[in-house]
Amino acid sequence: MAHTREILTFQFGTYANYVGAHFWNQQEANFVYDGQGEVDEQGLPNNDILYREGQNDQNQSTYTPRLLSVDLAGTLAHLPLAGELYGDFIQRKRDELDASGDGVESTKKALEANQLSTSGKVEVREEPPTPMSEYQRDLLMGAVNTLDRDYKLAETCRTWADFLYARYHPRTLNVLHQYTSNPDLQALGTHTAGAELWSSSFEEDFCDRIRLYVEECDGLQGFQLLFDIDDGFSGLATKCLEHLNDEYSRASFVVPLHYPRNLSYAQADTRTSHNIRVVNAVLSYNHLSDYATMFTPLSTLESIWRNNTLKSRHMPGLHWQADNLYQTSAVLGSYLDTISLSYRMRQTPETLLRFCDRVGVAGRKLTAAAFALPLDMLDKQDLIECLDQRGGKPLLTQITPQCEPGTAHVVQSVVARGIPVSRLKRPPEQAGEQLRMAAYNCGSISQMLQLYYQCAYHNSLSNVISTVLPIKTQLPFPYELFDKNVNIDGYKLPGEAQRDAGTRVASAPALGALQSSSRLGEHIDALHAQTHRVQLAKLQSYSQAGLEREEYETALEHLLEFRDNYSDSQYL
Amino acid sequence: MASISLLNPKAEFARAAQALSINISAAKGLQDVMRTNLGPKGTVKMLVSGGGDIKITKDGNVLLHEMQIQHPTASMIARASTAQDDSTGDGTTSTVMLIGELLKQADLYLCEGLHPRIMTEGFEKARDKALEVLEAVKVPVEINKKTLTEVANTSLKTKVHPALANLLTSVCVDAVMTISNEKQLPVDLHMVELMEMQHKTDTDTQLVRGLVMDHGARHPDMPKRLEKAYILTANVSLEYEKAEVNSGFFYKTAVEREAFVRAEREFIDQRVKKVIELKRQVCDGTDKTFVLINQKGIDPMSLDALAKEGILALRRAKRRNMERLALACGGTAMNSFDDLQEEHLGYAGVVYEHVLGENKYTFVEDCKNPMSVTILIKGPNKHTITQIKDAIRDGLRAINNTIADKALVPGAGAFEIRAYNELTKYKDTIKGKARLGVQAFADALLVVPKTLAINSGYDAQETIVKLTEEDRLNPELVGLDLSTGEPMKPVDMGVYDNYIVKKQILNSCSIIASNLLLVDEVMRAGMTSLKG
Repeated sequence: MAHTREILTFQFGTYANYVGAHFWNQQEANFVYDGQGEVDEQGLPNNDILYREGQNDQNQSTYTPRLLSVDLAGTLAHLPLAGELYGDFIQRKRDELDASGDGVESTKKALEANQLSTSGKVEVREEPPTPMSEYQRDLLMGAVNTLDRDYKLAETCRTWADFLYARYHPRTLNVLHQYTSNPDLQALGTHTAGAELWSSSFEEDFCDRIRLYVEECDGLQGFQLLFDIDDGFSGLATKCLEHLNDEYSRASFVVPLHYPRNLSYAQADTRTSHNIRVVNAVLSYNHLSDYATMFTPLSTLESIWRNNTLKSRHMPGLHWQADNLYQTSAVLGSYLDTISLSYRMRQTPETLLRFCDRVGVAGRKLTAAAFALPLDMLDKQDLIECLDQRGGKPLLTQITPQCEPGTAHVVQSVVARGIPVSRLKRPPEQAGEQLRMAAYNCGSISQMLQLYYQCAYHNSLSNVISTVLPIKTQLPFPYELFDKNVNIDGYKLPGEAQRDAGTRVASAPALGALQSSSRLGEHIDALHAQTHRVQLAKLQSYSQAGLEREEYETALEHLLEFRDNYSDSQYL
Repeated sequence: MASISLLNPKAEFARAAQALSINISAAKGLQDVMRTNLGPKGTVKMLVSGGGDIKITKDGNVLLHEMQIQHPTASMIARASTAQDDSTGDGTTSTVMLIGELLKQADLYLCEGLHPRIMTEGFEKARDKALEVLEAVKVPVEINKKTLTEVANTSLKTKVHPALANLLTSVCVDAVMTISNEKQLPVDLHMVELMEMQHKTDTDTQLVRGLVMDHGARHPDMPKRLEKAYILTANVSLEYEKAEVNSGFFYKTAVEREAFVRAEREFIDQRVKKVIELKRQVCDGTDKTFVLINQKGIDPMSLDALAKEGILALRRAKRRNMERLALACGGTAMNSFDDLQEEHLGYAGVVYEHVLGENKYTFVEDCKNPMSVTILIKGPNKHTITQIKDAIRDGLRAINNTIADKALVPGAGAFEIRAYNELTKYKDTIKGKARLGVQAFADALLVVPKTLAINSGYDAQETIVKLTEEDRLNPELVGLDLSTGEPMKPVDMGVYDNYIVKKQILNSCSIIASNLLLVDEVMRAGMTSLKG
């Protein structure tokens, strides 16, 4: 069909908004404008799937994500609730140099002049202006220097608004005014409290915003839903998912995100905090196995339940601080950007539903994510050589905690990006050794990877697509993540060589995969094993939120039933 | 040393006099913040957030919500005020003022060694007496336009500028009068939809006897304006997409898939055809037109087919609008098109579309017997709209309360003055120290007229003396005329408050104040503080 097949995106929770901010930044970094047309149009994603065109009150056209985001009070920092594109806020004067002046006085005067709303006097109560991050200020003045300037975002960034390049629609942002964010404490702690919040005050306005977005869509195909599973946003998100299913019955790709830190909860010591985290996960999985078309937990940590040392995954060529929100969310954000290309490309209009069904076969709705950034490829090396010389070393690193899908009986969708066709293999006259390899007959990146997986993975099903767009790793992406031996284009330098000091990696090739195999059952087992230590009666915040013992036990049973979907090891 | 510190050495605590002073100072603090808000002459507050968001309000409850209150006592008082708003929609500022004042007055006696328990006993007696007074002074009213206008106007004048208040009053009263009927009292306020429209120059708020929806047709060829329109409301999907999700596609060959797709498409086309058939049946040969309003989606192909027939079709209508539509235009909301009859259709004199920037609005007006109406709020910016919206909500609530109570209480501080005089007399009949509590309660009640006077720029003491004097001499109630500072008769001026609001204030304030007075130990020893 000719019309766009729109997708509506949701972000519930602080970390989800971090990941989302990187996701949208990445989207906009990869926009190709007219006149830059070196790339074949067909190889590009269709941005209209995730974005909407609009018009603000100054009659300027806008192009904003079709997005609904929910976060705690205080996380928006300098951002006004309605976004910056449509007016309706006061530009706060943030430092002496700012020439634009403070809008408070003029708005006050306008109000006093406007006889309709007031009787003369207006009393102004202003909070001190929230300081803007240096990056945002430069962005506002059009003076961002992506090449040399070091904004130290990893250390200074307090919230996702500090590094957000994308601009949102006024409908997008929602704030829970009752809950103020606290860097050390989960303000909205439990799944049950979140679910409660949905039905008490949140539902009506939020559902109306969903409806307004959906009304604009000609062929809505589904929803992407990112949420923090470790706190009450999980309850909010699952309730929302339930509403989406009731009202719109479309495909939903759900991504629960685990905080890379062990935040404590109100009225809980370390042990109880762990238990709350486990119960939150149990209740969320219970709902997701019913309502989601597919869900993929993501985290940069190796394990999430009772991981006191914060042992993190490691990706070759990349290093990050395990508990840094800005850096870890960048990895997860670029993964989402990569894997979502499966249903965003112009030439292969695969539906979100098809995408979910392909991997989440036979009720295996839980799938695992694996990612390689940068793709472990040497400078001047061709893909064919790279794959040939790997031997048994895996290409990808898991970013779903506590599971290894293995290399046999795997169903997977793979997206390769940023590898130019010229790097596939050498032309016949220079090929030499390469001529003797079976893969030399492959004419495209996806074909070759397909063949690779056929050989490397026993009895598996892979679906590979590729695009020439790399991951753009300039600001506001944390370019400092890359090791010194990665060159400016994201390829590894051979031997001990290092890229020139002072240069930054500008873009990098990447490989993302969404996998499912019977070994994913281990992930659920790991969660279930944790529940033995949970004494529900001792979790005060849960009993206060009104969770019934029965409800929890049903959820646990349900979880075990769900685990049965993964039991048959031969199933493909 | 408090016993808690034996169990938990890290616990923070405050005892007896100290605990009391924490509570009293919190209540006073909150009172100070809210004081300037009270009454028609109170100032408007503009709240500017760190990010530049603007909020403009005079409403106590809105203000409390915007201030993130950390202090436990203050948040308890704020909750009482929210409860006041939930149950009556007015009197939120008065609640805060009165609680603060009760504690302040009590403090004077407590400092001299009176036990809080005796104080609260006095409060209880005084409250009962005050309720008796309230019962005695309430004015039973006929429910007609005049009384409703008076009460709505009193409530609205405390929220917005008088000129705007007058406009909003008539809008609110008309809205309620239109949808009210004999059988069902009070009215269901859900049937009054508030629709906002951001418009640079227009600041008119108007009542639409029909519906305004915040979306429009999604096809360029659909008519923008229809007259004498039949309205079909439905909850039927006209989208091809849906079936795909529910069943999933299972097919072996491309041909099979094609066949499947065609069959699915056919299914939707059938539904569209049924609508078109009905349209032809009722409209052909007449000057009638046809509008379809669907709660589910309509895809471009179906829109196209409908547009060719000159049908205006709207998709994804708000769920509550389906109910409202049926009430406003008549007809029934259909869940299937299998048995469509003319009697299922509603009727509206005119349906038209209005485009503003990226937003579209559809007006359904000129209905036969509208049982649901829309108040359309226009404003140059979001904060003005929100302010008007809050005010309208309170105005509607005030009207509805009156209909429920069938009684009003003279406003402008008249009740408080009368209650003060009655309580001072009553005090002498009480034995023992409890009478001090009654006295404190009586004094506290005066905070409302006092603050009204101060906010209007008059001397508080002088006003109170004048008013109490006048009240003692007069059998009728006497209130404060804010424009002259002189006593006046609120009944003559048409200044009325809701009976339920006053009752609720007396009840909740005395309870909260008593509770706070009786607190003799404040401690914090949760699990988080255990962690150390």
